[in-house]
Amino acid sequence: MTKPRKVALLANCLLNQNAKVCEGARYPGVASPVVEALRKRGYQLQQLPCPELAFAGVRRWWGVYEQYDTPAYRSHCQQLAKAIAPLIESFIRNGDEVILIGLDGSPSSGVRFTSSKPEWGGRPNRPQDDWDIVPRRGIWIEELEMELARRGLPQIPATGWALDMGRFDEAGSRRDLEEFLESREEAAPRAGDVRGGNAAT
Amino acid sequence: MSVDLRGWRIALIADALLNAEPGASLPDVIAVLEASRYGVLQLPPAGGAHGLLLAVTADQIAEYAHHGYAVVAIGVKGQVESGLHWRRLTSLLQQRNSALPPRHVIAPKTDAGEEARRLAAFLDSHDIPEDEKRRWRV
Repeated sequence: MTKPRKVALLANCLLNQNAKVCEGARYPGVASPVVEALRKRGYQLQQLPCPELAFAGVRRWWGVYEQYDTPAYRSHCQQLAKAIAPLIESFIRNGDEVILIGLDGSPSSGVRFTSSKPEWGGRPNRPQDDWDIVPRRGIWIEELEMELARRGLPQIPATGWALDMGRFDEAGSRRDLEEFLESREEAAPRAGDVRGGNAAT
Repeated sequence: MSVDLRGWRIALIADALLNAEPGASLPDVIAVLEASRYGVLQLPPAGGAHGLLLAVTADQIAEYAHHGYAVVAIGVKGQVESGLHWRRLTSLLQQRNSALPPRHVIAPKTDAGEEARRLAAFLDSHDIPEDEKRRWRV
């Protein structure tokens, strides 16, 4: 056991924008506002694997939830979840305050929202960003949460940085994140209680 | 979608550098990486059994290295294998037909400002050859 810490699980691309699909990188490398907000509040960072990069490669087309919702992709996400879950479990068992910052709008890493367009498929010739945003977890986050639940761990309070919502609003995303982090500080007396986790979103 | 701002360069980082202990005499590695336009691939904490996670990391390194991205590794003295899991990574990258990335090791307890300058010089000196850039970075 080490002294309980504050640990933020981060969607892979929040530390590495090179993981994004083509035309999706909004920063050269690190999503600075996210990292700055977390470090300012004393969070340690734990990067999650990028499921899309490992599955479809760095030159993949972009896609929506329904395109990734296949048995093979879910199985891949389950394997990644098994790879990172022991580390997350060690944080929680240590009494660390763990939060998750995903990527809203992402088909994989969305927390509050994911992208949806059931009719997408075939030649990727859509001239406009015409996908819909729906309130739902992305597939990777769904599978990660299922793996953590299977281990008897509480749901991790989570929010998303709204990078993949179509029109990215950095100022709005920053406000959302600050509000979320503020809410965690108000809930701080519960930190370290492995029985008491609640999802904020 | 929109203009893509990716920097095409990635640093594998020892966990002890990304999450330095408060008061540790280490440079602010994230700040240096940001200034040099690098993304981060975080390695698991030194020690412990992280075989599956390292394999996943090796998949990502190979994918980047095979498609026009520059990859380097940054460790810290005093950690087992500088916190880089070097022996395991060597084997995993060989299996993926990928070379080991250039490595830089930061010395704690020396002048953090000087270490930051050394790190920045190392980062700025690494990229892929021009013909490879033209091939991939369009």
